[in-house]
Amino acid sequence: MQSSSRRMGVMTDVHRRFLQLLMTHGVMEEREVAHLQKHCYKVHDSSATADKLEDFINNINSVLESLYIEIKKGITEDDGRPIYALVNLATTPVSKMASDYAENELDLFRKALELIIDSESGFASSTNILNLVDQLKGKRMRKKEAEQVLQKFVQNKWLIEKEGEFTLHGRAILEMEQYIRGMYPDSVKTCNICHGLLIQGQSCETCGIRMHLPCVAKYFQANPEPHCPHCNDYWPHEIPEVFDPEKEGEPTISRPHRKSLRSRQH
Amino acid sequence: MSEASKAAACAPDPAGATPRSVMHAMPEMPGGDPQPLAAQAASLPGPDIPPLGPGHARPRSPPPPAPEDEEDDDDAEMEEDDEDDDPKALLQAAEEGRAPPAPGAAQAGPPPPAPAQLVQKAHELMWYVLVKDQQRMVLWFPDMVKDVIGSYKKWCRSILRRTSLILARVFGLHLRLASLHTMEFSLVKALEPEELDRVALGNRMPMTGLLLMILSLIYVKGRGARESAVWNVLRILGLRPWKKHTTFADVRRLITEEFVQQNYLKYQRVPYVEPPEYEFFWGPRANREITKLQIMEFLARVFKKDPQAWPSRYREALEEARALREAQPSAHCPRSSVSED
Repeated sequence: MQSSSRRMGVMTDVHRRFLQLLMTHGVMEEREVAHLQKHCYKVHDSSATADKLEDFINNINSVLESLYIEIKKGITEDDGRPIYALVNLATTPVSKMASDYAENELDLFRKALELIIDSESGFASSTNILNLVDQLKGKRMRKKEAEQVLQKFVQNKWLIEKEGEFTLHGRAILEMEQYIRGMYPDSVKTCNICHGLLIQGQSCETCGIRMHLPCVAKYFQANPEPHCPHCNDYWPHEIPEVFDPEKEGEPTISRPHRKSLRSRQH
Repeated sequence: MSEASKAAACAPDPAGATPRSVMHAMPEMPGGDPQPLAAQAASLPGPDIPPLGPGHARPRSPPPPAPEDEEDDDDAEMEEDDEDDDPKALLQAAEEGRAPPAPGAAQAGPPPPAPAQLVQKAHELMWYVLVKDQQRMVLWFPDMVKDVIGSYKKWCRSILRRTSLILARVFGLHLRLASLHTMEFSLVKALEPEELDRVALGNRMPMTGLLLMILSLIYVKGRGARESAVWNVLRILGLRPWKKHTTFADVRRLITEEFVQQNYLKYQRVPYVEPPEYEFFWGPRANREITKLQIMEFLARVFKKDPQAWPSRYREALEEARALREAQPSAHCPRSSVSED
């Protein structure tokens, strides 16, 4: 028998359906995930009481462990919504995307990723990305094509667009955090509070430390005089609200970019 | 590992039995994979990050160092000049449970790779299949071989089999050979009841709603729907061929190219009509995945009417449902739990 007695969870059809649908959607917000869990119970085992979401997911993850995949939980950087995605831990995420995109498209993504990581705001302008089109590996890509490829990335939830600038989607951060930290150890930014990868956030103008917007919200909650946790200087930025799932209407992760997807006439 | 657990790992999944299922045709495995899934996964070294291939999920060759005592690792490197096995022959062999066609030269090929490596490949293939399906792309066998299986071509049978097993046990999905002719696989839900979960989740996937609208229109018409008719319907939703939409972006491209590529729709020129006009039909994938009854339910929800408001179509849908029920072999009992092997 095996010496490593790993506790493997029990998979029922409830869990299987849950996994199927989570995979289909790619990434889901916590409220949708809870809804999904209830739906799966209703379909397969309406008599049972649903596990707490956290236990439910941990149970599934214990089964997925040997397959090197995991349901990962993260927070959207702009408004602190909890999100979940099924991620593959074993391969590099860009090569994971490889089955969907051509060589030059992948390279475009890599270029955009680098610009985003190097930028101060966590956003790379469309112009700057498109200017790199001539340097792409593979088949030559025109700027107009590149614009469409960028939109494809937005649709597939790898990038978010806001007013002509691009940043990483929460899902991309979830899937690629380790890869990014490994690839760009010198340019990568981290949050002073949660120590996670930071793309968008606020920074102290004196000492330069950075914090995620939701981390700022939690840290300075109800504090009338926010000060930098590192150098104690006055924190000059507007403190965002802590995300409250109760106060929400339709949860949608596409809210940040719904208004700003550029509409172009052909 | 004990004989009992060996047998458990090798037995075909009872939930997966269909005549076309690749797994179904597999006989008892030869030497290749003596150990059950979990044990092998446990013996895998930490996940290797392969170098970024230029746009391909490159197969790891040479294979990563095996965990313990397998000295045949070096020999497991396949000579790359191994003739290109005709993928169709490979697939056919896998289907029928034969050994794949051997290259003209050395019959005594290199020894099989470590079981851990085959397991790793099976995991890669599993993820590949899941992502392709998520993107609604076609699962083409030659792509699977090129992108994932690579130099382990000779063991694609055992890799495929393990992948199918994992998908069935963990995800409740069946990796089925949809057509030997086109070498396409499809990932089908094995769970009952089969409903359109996406719709059940309250239209979180707007694409499905759009597609269903068009399919319903075609169905109700009873023949192809002219593009102009489709746009009349879509106009009600505020969609125009020339306008970019926030969710769908280029709607026209979506329905005339993407849905067609995914085999949900067929977009054909109407013969003998000048100036040229086009019409939409159900695609083969829609025929496979969506039942007429589901369309009727969709229509009933959207128009807030009883399905009987479309009497002849409803009758057709019931007919089809009955025919489908009769065509099913006796209902399988879904496995209710998976314990450690």
